[in-house]
Amino acid sequence: MFNRVKNLQLSVIKQMEIRAAKYPDVISLAQGIPSFDTPACIKRRVERALRAGAVAKYSLSPGLPELREMIEISLAKENMFYDWQKEIIVTAGSIEGLTAAVLAVSDPGDEIILPTPTYVSYKEVINLAGCTPIFVPLNEDQGWSFELAEFEQAITPKTKAILFCNPNNPTGTIYGREQLTGLAELAKKHNLFIISDEVYKDFIYGGSGKIFSLAELPEIRERVIRVFSFSKSHAMTGWRIGFIHSDESVIKEILKVHDCLVTCAPVISQYAAMGALEMGEGDVINFKKQYDRRRDLICSRLDRLNKYLRYIKPNSAYFVFPKILNNSDSLALALELLDKVQVAVVPGIAFGPNGEGHIRLSFGRTEAHINTAFDRLEKFFSL
Amino acid sequence: MNDISNGVKIIFKQILKYYLKFITKIVLLIHRPLIISVTGSTNEFFVKSEIKRRLEQAGYDVRSNPKNFNTEIGLPLAILNLSSGYNSYKNWLPIIWRAFISLFKPTFPKILVLGLGIDKRGDMKYLMSLVKPKIAIVTDITQRYIESFSDMDDLVGEYKHFVESINENGYLILNYDNRRIKKLSGFTKAKVIFFGLEKNTPSLNNHWLGEITEKTSSGQTVAVTDGNETKNYSINRFGEHHAYALLIGLIVKKIIINLK
Repeated sequence: MFNRVKNLQLSVIKQMEIRAAKYPDVISLAQGIPSFDTPACIKRRVERALRAGAVAKYSLSPGLPELREMIEISLAKENMFYDWQKEIIVTAGSIEGLTAAVLAVSDPGDEIILPTPTYVSYKEVINLAGCTPIFVPLNEDQGWSFELAEFEQAITPKTKAILFCNPNNPTGTIYGREQLTGLAELAKKHNLFIISDEVYKDFIYGGSGKIFSLAELPEIRERVIRVFSFSKSHAMTGWRIGFIHSDESVIKEILKVHDCLVTCAPVISQYAAMGALEMGEGDVINFKKQYDRRRDLICSRLDRLNKYLRYIKPNSAYFVFPKILNNSDSLALALELLDKVQVAVVPGIAFGPNGEGHIRLSFGRTEAHINTAFDRLEKFFSL
Repeated sequence: MNDISNGVKIIFKQILKYYLKFITKIVLLIHRPLIISVTGSTNEFFVKSEIKRRLEQAGYDVRSNPKNFNTEIGLPLAILNLSSGYNSYKNWLPIIWRAFISLFKPTFPKILVLGLGIDKRGDMKYLMSLVKPKIAIVTDITQRYIESFSDMDDLVGEYKHFVESINENGYLILNYDNRRIKKLSGFTKAKVIFFGLEKNTPSLNNHWLGEITEKTSSGQTVAVTDGNETKNYSINRFGEHHAYALLIGLIVKKIIINLK
């Protein structure tokens, strides 16, 4: 009984949220949800679709044609060229797309490489597929960058794919073009898929304001599966809507799994995604400006705790991942913070072995929340 | 309170709609651009982009509507080259003023490539009261937006109105692969040119046939046959819809060059 799921765990982030819910005055810097409501233009688009009676039925399994066409247009603006009819699937958030991709490209017993620290749920998706996650540590001293040699060492005949998020959650690191093309070379050499989760790509602070994606390289389009979600970019975590794209030869296989899992993404949310692509650009820019301010705020508050926490300023996303000085048990600290000062954080161990000794703090919350949380943290550390 | 707010919004929208229509008609009367209209259930964006690209490469001064500016409010904004105020009265005020100012602008593109979008009965009639296209294109007809129509005939009625509105000096470019569109050729006085990708089509003088002959990681090759001549085109995009867009772009370019 329950053999398939006996080794699965509810993600530590969700476990922390469930624990935190027992404390009425808790301030959560744990879950990676934006503090903003879904933009009004998106809600209006949904209202229009509701009034037209367009949301009650299934869509085609890969999604509404008009939405997929818009996705193709938006991808082309980012130098990624994919056929909306055969190479794009609208998914129920990014995690459904990732799950469908992992199930499609792997066989039970395969290995999938994950850099660590990385997003909690990848490991569970890999376990669900009957595969083994193989962790490759990121180099904290080099700003959480990765070493290609370590990836190559981790590759075995069982390796099927490399899965990562760029920008990285929880470190906010952006992997550069040189590093990524090196990874692409490895993928070609060892016949691997690359699954790139780019849900935070709209929140880049400074620099060009844009990440490089391997999905831009036509020569490896048959190996790269790119995942995106509207959850973070457009404050739509509750709508569960995103998309996945790759070469036709890959997408036709992923589509079979997607159809088994959800039939189609929620149609009402597909209309919301259309609203996001049609009119939501200004809101994304506004969110980014506010996150940038909050990043400065959280870093300045962390500076006051520099005897206890040491951090690398993130270049993207809305997380900071400080190292705990003089304490290596991140789960114990997270539980103590929750119990003593009612601040919820995510213990670094949740993000793989290399995350231990750190905590993840989200600045997706409001400035008031961040300030209150840090007032409590200062009290905790007896400042 | 909500009812009042909705009522004000509806009145504002109606006033705005007719104000923009009035200004747009005067601007078009003053500058008399050649208008190319694109409509259909899918592929409007890529067809517009391809036409614009081909004509600009040939040295023409072209503008097309951005985003989804193809409705009763969006189309005039596209013609006047203005942004939308969306749901904000405050944002609309400067746009209303700039619309008025556009009456006095000395320069205007020689060619407009305009998408026309329909999502309910009567939309096409209104849009065609704004513009008189010299070249009209129907890309595709599918069941998209069928919810707002009683049946497929009702929806196709919008496109029928479109083709009927093109006069005998105009050109109508129709998708031969779509049965519904093919039939529309019987409702126009304009010169009809067909395009398609289906191989087993009868040999017609006015038919451009495309065939995707190769797909590589960097794009696809499309063999285009016009009459007895076949030429290969490489495009760095994937999918049949880009082959259709290519065919339409080439047809439009040929028509425009011959109009000179």
